Amino acid sequence: MKWKLALLGALLPIVAAAQPNFAGKTVTIVVGYKPGGGYDATARMLARHLPDRLPGKPTVIVQNMPGGNSIIAANHMYNVAKPDGLTLGTFNRNLPIAQLTKVQGVKYDMLKFAWIGSAANEATILAIRNDLPYKNFEELRKAKEPVVIGSTGPGANTHDFPLLLKDLLSLNLKIVSGYSSSADIMLAVERKEVDGRAGSYNSLKPFIDRKLVRPIIRARSNEAGIEQLPIDESFAKTPRAKAIMALRSAPEVIARPYVLPPNTPADIVKAYRDAFAATIKDPALVAEAQKAQFDLDYTSGDEAVKVLKEVLSQPKDIVDEFSKYVKFGE
Amino acid sequence: MLDAFVQGLVLVLQWKAFAFMLAGIFVGFWVGLLPGLGGATTLALMLPFIYNMQPVEAFAFLLGMHSVVATTGDITSILFGVPGEATTAAIILDGHAMAKKGEAGRALGAALASSLVGALIGAAALAAAIPVVRPLVLTFGSPELFMLAIVGLAFIASLSAQGARGMVRGFLAGGLGLFLAMIGQDPQAGMARYTLDTLYLWQGLDLVPVLVGLFAIPEIIDLVVRGTSIAGDAPAGRINRGALEGVKDVFRHFWLTIRCALIGTFIGITPGLGGAVAQWMAYGHATQSARTPEERKGFGQGDVRGVIGPGAACNSKEGGALIPTIAFGVPGSTSMAILLGGFFLLGLVPGPDMLTKHLDVTFSLVWTIVLANIITVAACFLLLNRLTALTAIQGHLLVPVVLVLVFIGSYTSNSSYADLIVTMVFGAVGYFMVVAGWPRAPLVLGLVLGKIAENYLYISVARYDAAWLGRPVVIVLLVIAVGVVLYPIVQALRARRSHG
Repeated sequence: MKWKLALLGALLPIVAAAQPNFAGKTVTIVVGYKPGGGYDATARMLARHLPDRLPGKPTVIVQNMPGGNSIIAANHMYNVAKPDGLTLGTFNRNLPIAQLTKVQGVKYDMLKFAWIGSAANEATILAIRNDLPYKNFEELRKAKEPVVIGSTGPGANTHDFPLLLKDLLSLNLKIVSGYSSSADIMLAVERKEVDGRAGSYNSLKPFIDRKLVRPIIRARSNEAGIEQLPIDESFAKTPRAKAIMALRSAPEVIARPYVLPPNTPADIVKAYRDAFAATIKDPALVAEAQKAQFDLDYTSGDEAVKVLKEVLSQPKDIVDEFSKYVKFGE
Repeated sequence: MLDAFVQGLVLVLQWKAFAFMLAGIFVGFWVGLLPGLGGATTLALMLPFIYNMQPVEAFAFLLGMHSVVATTGDITSILFGVPGEATTAAIILDGHAMAKKGEAGRALGAALASSLVGALIGAAALAAAIPVVRPLVLTFGSPELFMLAIVGLAFIASLSAQGARGMVRGFLAGGLGLFLAMIGQDPQAGMARYTLDTLYLWQGLDLVPVLVGLFAIPEIIDLVVRGTSIAGDAPAGRINRGALEGVKDVFRHFWLTIRCALIGTFIGITPGLGGAVAQWMAYGHATQSARTPEERKGFGQGDVRGVIGPGAACNSKEGGALIPTIAFGVPGSTSMAILLGGFFLLGLVPGPDMLTKHLDVTFSLVWTIVLANIITVAACFLLLNRLTALTAIQGHLLVPVVLVLVFIGSYTSNSSYADLIVTMVFGAVGYFMVVAGWPRAPLVLGLVLGKIAENYLYISVARYDAAWLGRPVVIVLLVIAVGVVLYPIVQALRARRSHG
């Protein structure tokens, strides 16, 4: 009953405005990845639950458009998709970074999309093997032997986060890249080939619970259960170092971004924002997501735009410095 | 342990679980048959259906579907020369050649029987490995995985044609494959390599459009040029009859079947090597069983052993691939990653618990693989006559249908027009390789293993400097690799001596 009331609450303001009606239409969610990953799973979950909250209860389907670390999907959303509310897109959260560092092939402006919001935030943490003598960040800082961290490659949070810890906070880390997935790194942790890995708290949680690894430090983005972990930025020695770490972690608040094409009419955007918010906040859906080991956290479209403005308005010297460490990828 | 073993079977045989398994098999049957529509994509599509199921029902459904895909994929590969799945390309070389000789029935019989034997061995290996699974998987670190890739590349020697010229061509084709594997963003510095400034190539060449182009297009051109049916002038009555003969072939070469199944299981267990490798290593091993140069020449022209090897390995690897997924929560492939999502959805946490507390569920997975394969193979034998009859249809009626399948198949891998271009380009490459007598298998092996070899070599050196070269398993694998390279030479010498 409660969700029906919430639904009513979400729908009422739309009824008041000139309301779009999607009855009998098919809405496509364009996903910038192949099936199987977190972006795809979230989109498929939304495809099941979004229709009930959209005016006219349209059918919602998922279309995978992989390639170019999902730049292809973003370009499609920006240049090809019609602003009629029948196509929405979700893609790599680091696409603003690609735009900022002028990656070849980028044909979009993140700020011009009609932002619906984000369905999750990802808190990146560094976790090391439980049997290492370092129990916390202070102890890890004093490590004499290099601590080996496995990574999938530049552009992934498994790589960039420890890289900044190493270069800007002088942690004694040795980063070994080239593992084909974060699951592969986990296996390397099991066989003690590497001492730890960075990644989203969500993906590491089962292994933390199993006492294989322990969390040491996190980036700015927060999540229930890791509030007590120290934040990387708080140890930065210079304002510039701090700015670089902040820039790397900024997109993590919009980890599952959802947009409509540029110039989508305001009433359609509003309908989607309301439906999206009601869906992501629905306790039944949150419980379902938790069962599947991913957390849903709602970030509004306005907040997403605020984060983007912050990312995209960085001064050139910071961007240049940032590009030395972080490459867009994955 | 025995209790759980029986309990697992009882769980699968409950009517609900069994019904879901049949539903899964039905879906998997078609997914395997149609090229392009892959097992992983379908698993992702089916995942939402399991929300309200019990764990055993859900896995009977998902795994039932997954484990028959490779079996029916073989059928498309053999009949049309179009890889039904990326993992069933190796069987084309001899399987489709047999179909062209009018022996489609025998090839299918052999493929199905070897698939079944392979699946049973894979499942048995899974069951047998449960007590020792943790040390087994943990023995294989990055240096060992690198050496395994080298052993795989060494099979190029067996996959090349005979003689010095054949060898040179084989290794050149393998080198081209390795080069193609380099395309895309490199994982160390993040540089884009050979991407021709396109976003499409950024994540590397996709295997499916390449395989479809390389193998299917030349067969289609050949069919058009010949202007006959696939089976050509083979007498009509003969086509259907060989199925039993094919089954007998599997038992005639039973040790080969077992060895190839074990190769598949082993590749499956080692996460990170990928399913596409197993079939080619098994095919390479099958060619080693040729005793004389004449016999060796028969491979690629319809030797039934070239069907049995990949057929067995392709299905046995699924049992193996479950091992790291269950024991560590670490999936070895995309399909397994999706299956892992299924575990979480059902409230099961993969890891040591699956080998103790939930052992009955683990064994129910083993039984699902066994039952699903038996049912599928039985169903296929019932349909065999209809299937083989397709090879008697006139080419001009068949080609349009097959072409549609080919292009839809490659298009589904990225839903991009570039997929079609890749298919055409590799279709041309494949055609000229066939015409000029260059082997295609080494090229595929290089492409499949290139990235694995590069990454694990980098990790080995970055992590251990030179010390990794002294690890015992690395040395053993090195000896095996050298043996594999030298084997054809030994074979040739032996043959010369016996002739002289």
